[in-house]
This record gives sequence, C-alpha cells and structure tokens, in this order.
Amino acid sequence: MRKLVLKPKGFSKIPIEAEVISPDIIGGKTLPEVKALSVQYGNKVHSLSEFFDVGGRIAKTPDEQDIVVDGDASHVKYIGKGMTTGRIVVQGDAGMHTGSQMKGGSITVTGNIADWTGAEMKGGLLRVLGDAGNLLGAAYRGSSDGMTGGCIVVNGSVGSEVASFMRRGMIVVLGDTGPFTGVHMNGGEIFVFGKVGRRAGAQAKGNGGFIACFGGIDELLPTYRYDTTFTPTFMRLYLRQLAGNLGIDVATSYIDKPMRRYRGDLAVGGNAEILVAEKA
Amino acid sequence: MEHVDVVCPFCGCLCDDLEITVEEGHITGIKNACAVSRSKFLNHGSHRITSAAVDGKKASMKKAVKEAVEILSNARRPLIYGLSSTECGAISKAVEIGEVTGGIVDNTASVCHGPTILALQQVGESKATLGEARNRADMVVFWGSNPTAAHLRHIVRYSVMPKGMYSTEGRKGRKVIVVDVRQTGTTRLADKFVKIKPNSDFELLQALRATVRGDELPVDEVSGVPMKEIKELAEEMKNCKFGIVFFGLGLTQSEGRHMNIDAAVGLVSELNRHTKFVLTPMRGHYNVAGANTVATWQTGYPYAIDFSKGYPRYNPGEFTAVDLLASGEVDAAMIIASDPAATFPADAARHLAKIPTITLEQKTTPTTMLSKVVLPVATAGVEAEGTAYRMDGVPLRLSKLVEPPKGIHSDEKVLDMILEGLKEVAQ
Ligand code: SF4
Repeated sequence: MRKLVLKPKGFSKIPIEAEVISPDIIGGKTLPEVKALSVQYGNKVHSLSEFFDVGGRIAKTPDEQDIVVDGDASHVKYIGKGMTTGRIVVQGDAGMHTGSQMKGGSITVTGNIADWTGAEMKGGLLRVLGDAGNLLGAAYRGSSDGMTGGCIVVNGSVGSEVASFMRRGMIVVLGDTGPFTGVHMNGGEIFVFGKVGRRAGAQAKGNGGFIACFGGIDELLPTYRYDTTFTPTFMRLYLRQLAGNLGIDVATSYIDKPMRRYRGDLAVGGNAEILVAEKA
Repeated sequence: MEHVDVVCPFCGCLCDDLEITVEEGHITGIKNACAVSRSKFLNHGSHRITSAAVDGKKASMKKAVKEAVEILSNARRPLIYGLSSTECGAISKAVEIGEVTGGIVDNTASVCHGPTILALQQVGESKATLGEARNRADMVVFWGSNPTAAHLRHIVRYSVMPKGMYSTEGRKGRKVIVVDVRQTGTTRLADKFVKIKPNSDFELLQALRATVRGDELPVDEVSGVPMKEIKELAEEMKNCKFGIVFFGLGLTQSEGRHMNIDAAVGLVSELNRHTKFVLTPMRGHYNVAGANTVATWQTGYPYAIDFSKGYPRYNPGEFTAVDLLASGEVDAAMIIASDPAATFPADAARHLAKIPTITLEQKTTPTTMLSKVVLPVATAGVEAEGTAYRMDGVPLRLSKLVEPPKGIHSDEKVLDMILEGLKEVAQ
C-alpha cells in the first residue's frame, strides 16, 4: 500500500464537499493532479490543496492506495463516497455522508462522525471509533433501498434512524442507539451491545432481518409480539465472527446466552425479529 | 366598492367567501371573516414600514436593492428562507435567486409540516380536497390539531358543521373524534376525545393499524388508551363511509416527527381496505403549501434545496434553515415573509444577527430589527394579486383590494429587481 497524507488546513464553518478523497479517484494520478482535484466550498469550486496539505505517495492502482486524513475533518463531507477499493483512515472527526454508497475497501474514522455515514452502503467496511450521528447506513430521503451490503462498526453510540430501509449488510454498535433503530428494515443484521432506543424495528417487514440487543432495550413497540426464549445457533456463529474477524471481544461473553424473541412490526404484517439477550 | 368571494390570505384555510367593502382606498367593512382575518384586514395599514433601510438608516429603494444584490453576490453560502406568507409569483422568483446565487432555498415547512412531506415522499398519501370532506365525510378525526385556535372557520366551512351534497345532515351526520394530549376547544366539540400520553402518537397509530388488520395485540393499553377503546375506535373507523384525518403540529412536531406521519399514512392506507379514508395536513401559513408546490415545480423538491453545485439537491436536516443557521454555515440570508428571529431556536436566531440579512416585510418584526437591509413590500391578497395554495393543495386567486402605500411594491416585484441586479453582476 502507498500512503497519501492529507492534512486539513484548519476548520471551516462552510463545509467542504470532497468526494475526491477516494482511492478510486486518487490511485494512478500524479501528485500535482491530486492537488488540483476539485472540491466544493459553498457555491465555488476550489482545488484540494487549498484546504489540505497534500503529501506522501500515490499508488498506481486504487486498490494499493491508502489515504490518511490527518486531523479534524468534521467540516469535510463525502469522504470515500462510492469508493470500491483501497483504504482511508481519518485521524479525527469526519463530516456528513462519509462512505455513503461505498461498494468496497475500508474507511476508519478515529473520532466522531456526522449524519448519513455509510448511507446506502453497498459493500466494504466502515469503522468509527467514536460516536456516529443520525441515519447511519440509512436510505436517502425518498428511497426505499437503504444499506444493501457491507459492514459498519461503531465503537461509541449512534443517533436516530440507524439503518432505515436496510436490505442486507451488517451494522454493529458497541454503545447505545437512538430511536427508530432499523426502521422500515427489510433484511440485514443489526447488533447493539449498548441500549437500543425507543421504537426499534418500526415498520419493519422482516425478510430475515433482525436486531440483536445485548444491552437491553428501552421500550418495545406494542406491535411486537413475544414468542419464545431460545439460544439461536446462528447467533453463536455471528458472535464468534464478530470477535474473531472484527476484534469485538465483548461479543464472546454473549455466546450461548438465551435470547427473548419478539416478532413484528405487526402494523405492517412484518416478520422481523428483535432478539433481546436475557440479563445474566 | 364591494368585493365578493375574496380569498382570505391569513391561514391555510384560504376561505374564499369574504365580502369586503372598500371606501376611498380603505377597507371599511368585512363579512364572513373570522376574528383573526377581520383584524388583519382592518389593520393591515397600521405600523407599516414606509421606507427601505440599510444599516438601520432610511435609504431609497434603489440603494437598498443595490445593497441586497451586493450581499447576495458576495456570499459563499447564502440562505433564502420564508416564503409561506406570500404568493406564488414571489416564491418562484425566490427560487430563481437561489439558483443564480448558488444558495439554499428553504421555506417554513422545515419547521412545521416538513416531517409530513418526508413521510409522504417515503410512503405516499391518500388525500382529498376540503370540498370532498365537506360533501362526503361522515367521520372526521382531528389528530394533534386544534382548528378552534389555529384555523377558526375550518370547522364551520369544511369539516364539522356544513351540510354538503351527500352529508345532508351536517354536524348530526358526522362523527367527530379528537386525539390529543390535552383538552382543547376542538375536544369540546367532539363526539369522542381520545386522550393520549405526550409523545406516544406513534405507538397508538401502530396499534390501531395492527388492530384494523385484525391482529390481537398482547398488551392492555397503548399510549394511555385501553385496548378495548382502541378496538372500538378501529371498528368505528372501518365502518364509516368516508373518513378523514386532519393532523397538525401535535403530530409532526412531537417525538417521532415524520415517522408519526408515516404511521398515520399507514393507518389510512390500511383503512382503505375497508372503506374510504384520507388524510390532510392542517397547514398553518396561508401559502406554505404553495411554497412547497412552486419549489417542486421548479426544482423537483419542496424545501431544503441546495443550489451550490448549480443544480438542485435536497436533504432536510442538512439544507434546512434552522440547521444551517445553528451551525453557522450560512454567510448571508434573505428572509421573505417570515420572522425567524422570533420563532427559531436562540442559536439559529443569533447567527442571523451576525451575518448580513436582507428582509422583505410589511411591518417591523424581530427579524427586520436585526437585518442589514429592510425592503418594505405590499401585502399579497390585500394590496397585490397572486395565487396561493390551500392546505389541501387547491390553488386560489388572491385579489388586490387597495393600493399599497406610495413607492411600495409587491414581493414579486422587489425580488425581480434583486434578480435583475444579480444577473447584471454575473455578466
Ligand atoms: S379561517 Fe383562516 S382563511 Fe378563513 S377567514 Fe379565518 S384566517 Fe381567513
């Protein structure tokens, strides 16, 4: 991997839209070409180098490209949008729409992340070491296709409407989630190790989708019905994978723990599952 | 001179049966209007801003427009906001200014029925005009809305009292249900008042929908309402001939916001398996529906529209005025027919005072007081013609009854002057 370092030249209240910060776009270019890439700043177009010190090395192909955003990028939107390969690490916070519609490769944000992170994600791995905003992995307004693949892991807590209209893919939250987790969910898997917020699984049709709650749940909707307490075999496999492949050690402590299963959302005739781990 | 069938431009009902007498250029008599409308018509001329101003000092219209053009053409992230209390011609010009400046155009829907729009885009809607409600409805549900305070003639003209083509018995033939967190004027008129716990509309809507589907829910009560009552309500709703839900800010601005409307639409669509049921938002400002409609014609989107890339993009929460002001993102603002300084959260209002703000207004307001440029304008529907959209989406023509004060133009004219100025600068 070749590492390109982008050092933000300070915070700006007007956000910068920089979907060019992507291995797909940077890989194979020359340094002057990268410096001259366009970013949107308010109603004007600027070059990348006006907002970032650009240094390091550029790979011949995107899959060999490693990009480090070294510093606070909370004012930078669309980092890694639609990327298919390579790696991005943001050493600090990142702005809205980071990794939106990404198809492959990986993004790691060491700080916090704003709304719409990983929106309509299709593949790849997105990790956030801090907290995430609202609409993590959600469908954009008016769309009924949310996340269709890939994996998002957030070490901290997340806001409301996580994974709205989720179809496939996986979201793991080690902290708490806000209201309407998995709203309109129609497939996919959500694992929450903190507390799950109010109205989880609202309007969820199911389609094999589930929300696994290991740290309890605020309040279940009246349109979810309890049906059994069991120890799902598939959960053991998932938890092992979470611990082994993603380094989520806490997962191991829930292996073979009984879970209460609720089905809904009955308001839409749904068959989604909310699985709540019994307190030890 | 007598004017008949005048449309009232003071709330989303747009009552179109007013009779107004004008003598020597003044409105002297009004018939059929509600108290709010009467007072607004009679007082529209008092406490008017009579001259344009720049930095708090009187200025000629020409100078103030020039200043506005300069502010907008130098801005990197200008916001154009308001638009719900003016007519469609002005709204159209404002959208064009948004495009020319690469700014953001938002209207007051973002702080009232924005969630309604979000939900309707997500799950669709089943709607009817107020005329249909009047002529056909035998069940009227007011959910989180109180027309006795906000839409005074709604009950008499459209929803509860009137006799219509098929609703020949008037009030007697209609079942009126109010769902709210507290007693209101409307609950006193109702056949049934369903009192719910605050911020629990979503649960009740979902429970009702599941019950209408025929599911037995494994709970004794939902949102403070016993399951028995929910079952009764579901039966009543299924058995009416034509039901309508009028919902208000009690639903759009309580916890759940657009998801509450999503659930309400879901309930209504479920009921349509059994009978005819529709829903209509109780829009407050008289032309907020027009602001959404005109913006949609022109850009494809109803509010929260960003033109920074030269083409329209839409994202409530990202391109909505309150969010943009609170984060300090916008560096100039133009406010048309709205008073955000009085109604927005403190941090958003504070930012408005920090940046150069241009305001088009008839009377002194908190927003004009913090504005760098104030442009006085005529009152649409009283001193200027135009079109407005009623809460149910029906367009109606506003009339010009009297002349505006000397030297004062309509919103549309003033916006056009600014637009021409901007185009000149661009060349
Ligand atoms: S109800 Fe509304 S539209 Fe009708 S007269 Fe009163 S203010 Fe005007």
